[in-house]
Amino acid sequence: MALDPASSAATLSRFRKIGIIGIPPLAVIRAANDHGLVIHDLDEPLVREDLETASPFLPKVYCAILRTAVVNALHLELDAIYIDTGPGKCDGALHTATILAETLPIPVICTRNTDTAGFGFPLCQARLPLIARMQAITAGVKSAAPYSNPPPSCVPTAGFWGVPPRDFSILELFPDTTHIHGWTRCMENKTPADHDLEAEFNPEAPTVFFAQSFCAKTALARYLAKKHPHALYLDVDVHTTSSARAKVQAFLELSGVRP
Amino acid sequence: MILGDFGTSYCKFLDLDAPEAQPTIIATRELPRETRVDLATGHNGKRFACRYVNELIALARGGEAMIQEKDYVLLDCGSRDIKFIKYQNGKLADMGWNAECGASMGFTIELLERYYELDYAHLRVPEQTFSVTCGVLGMSDIFDAVISGVPVAEAVARFVKGIAINAYRFAGSPAKLYLSGGLCDNPLFVGSFPCQVTPLGRFVLLRGLEAEARQPRPPAIA
Repeated sequence: MALDPASSAATLSRFRKIGIIGIPPLAVIRAANDHGLVIHDLDEPLVREDLETASPFLPKVYCAILRTAVVNALHLELDAIYIDTGPGKCDGALHTATILAETLPIPVICTRNTDTAGFGFPLCQARLPLIARMQAITAGVKSAAPYSNPPPSCVPTAGFWGVPPRDFSILELFPDTTHIHGWTRCMENKTPADHDLEAEFNPEAPTVFFAQSFCAKTALARYLAKKHPHALYLDVDVHTTSSARAKVQAFLELSGVRP
Repeated sequence: MILGDFGTSYCKFLDLDAPEAQPTIIATRELPRETRVDLATGHNGKRFACRYVNELIALARGGEAMIQEKDYVLLDCGSRDIKFIKYQNGKLADMGWNAECGASMGFTIELLERYYELDYAHLRVPEQTFSVTCGVLGMSDIFDAVISGVPVAEAVARFVKGIAINAYRFAGSPAKLYLSGGLCDNPLFVGSFPCQVTPLGRFVLLRGLEAEARQPRPPAIA
């Protein structure tokens, strides 16, 4: 089911608990907040179920985020799922929406988020542990409220470009002064389809260009890494492997980046 | 201070306190469990030392110590994985570590030599090659070639050349590369690279540890 943002928002009053995949338009999130709905971000691991339970519906060699979303959708009691299939997400989400709509007894509503009103991205530039900032940014997709008391920005010593990883443990390796770029910055800004913002990076800071394995963004990540004067391209699937950790650790240390 | 490079098939040691000491080597399967060193690298290293340097850092430090140029590619081919460091203008420019798709290449080369009772020193570099991305999967090509009438030695040589070409591409297809690891002693492997190769031997990571030990740096981010 594909609806415009206003219609998508209007249907929300019938529900109590919804799941979101990607970032639905702000009008949808605002309406969900206004109706006091519980929102589950299905892109994050929420249930203790094996990722293999997604395999009857999606290939094993597929984006780990979407496989996670399917596992969540199968095991959480939801009234509806809002899945963004616009330019701020991917074709993978579009096909996943088709499969979920046929599999689940609840409405699966496709949205196209083309929001352009930027909320800013203070967390991306703050001096705080990277994991905590990533958690706050991903949690932020469930709220339409403007940011209050944004933290001050810092001078970056490193950069992390990309989407929030399926496995946050890779983020432990970065210093607190790491600036976040890429789609994560678009997330905080609440403009997930802003491709210009997504492609921005800081050539002065050694940067890891991260993408989930089997995601279309691997092409952009590798392309930008080649343009950046001091970069590491990295793709990781479900879990952070020891070699991926070692690459990040070596890249930062050999680049002179200190905790 | 004792340094240890704990590899999948072989462990290498160097005692910095012993004057004129040379590195020693032991098969990993013969390593005493109670072994302890002061500074370790290698995928088994964390179990044997209180201070650990990851293999890419050890490789990079070894390259810095052994290579006088500012622009170079250093490729390490181990039993289990392949990894490379690229420097430009004396600074890190690229790196890679293939522990999954490049799995078990060195291990498989050694295994095949013993199984087929070959001597790589006497095998010539073949004209043809297999497209090899993994040691285990690549063995199927050998069996298929032998079934079709290709002599075993020729089939194994094509396999070894395929591994060398795969490693060369993984390192970015440079015109020249420095080679690290036990395969430096394999003339068939070294001769199979389609570029200029300078073998540095199997103790490059130990040299990297030595550099780390002699010039202590703040601990790595971890």
